[in-house]
Amino acid sequence: MTGNGAPTGKDYVLEGFAVPDQLDAVHALLAQAAADHPNLEAMDVMLFETAIIEIANNVVEYGRPEGEVRWKFTIRVREDEIEAELDDTGQTFTPEQGKGMPGEEAEGGRGLPIAEALLDQIEFKRMGDTNHWRMVRRLGQLPPA
Amino acid sequence: MSFEEVDKGTHVVLAPEGKFNMVAAPPLKTRIDDLVAAGKTHLVVDLHGVDFIDSSGLGALIGGLKAARQQGGDLRIAAVGEQALAVLKLTNLDRILSPYATVEEALHDW
Repeated sequence: MTGNGAPTGKDYVLEGFAVPDQLDAVHALLAQAAADHPNLEAMDVMLFETAIIEIANNVVEYGRPEGEVRWKFTIRVREDEIEAELDDTGQTFTPEQGKGMPGEEAEGGRGLPIAEALLDQIEFKRMGDTNHWRMVRRLGQLPPA
Repeated sequence: MSFEEVDKGTHVVLAPEGKFNMVAAPPLKTRIDDLVAAGKTHLVVDLHGVDFIDSSGLGALIGGLKAARQQGGDLRIAAVGEQALAVLKLTNLDRILSPYATVEEALHDW
């Protein structure tokens, strides 16, 4: 167990199947990282959580073969940023990045735009037979309340 | 996730709990569609028990709003938490889904 001053850069890791039931485990993983870093602003954690869950949702929803995709989430808290890496064994694909927020009447298509809006870096690449996402939110960039 | 439903005659209040996400959103949307089809077109989604919403939850609310309005009714949201409020603003959906502080306020002109 870590006490005060949990080391920055420690890896918080979750491995398992990319299925709906596991989304709660992603929330819990971030909650654990946040609990070890009480200096993190709650708003930063909340917005980062919102972003990484959207990417996790996409893997759960579109990863094939359905129910058989495995993933590995790694979260790291650094002094000036929080980072998540997500590797999954789903099929190769090309995310449609940079499309912007869909219109108000749209019932879908907001997942990736939400993540992009809340992250300072979002990178996707195919590495061998694995999809790799890297998501970073810089800390201390919150607009005045 | 389950949700509570209270039929007040003039309107129906639906209250999801916990995470309003890709698991919870489809059953709520299905229920809204059923209610609208049965003539219950004035709906309030009470979000006081929701601590997290994702784009699936937003999609269910927008879909429900459109369904209700197409039948001459409306769907309003109340008691929206901090995270949901942030996401509504980020997606500009607060323009068509105005958050009311309480269920009572959401009912003001019904």
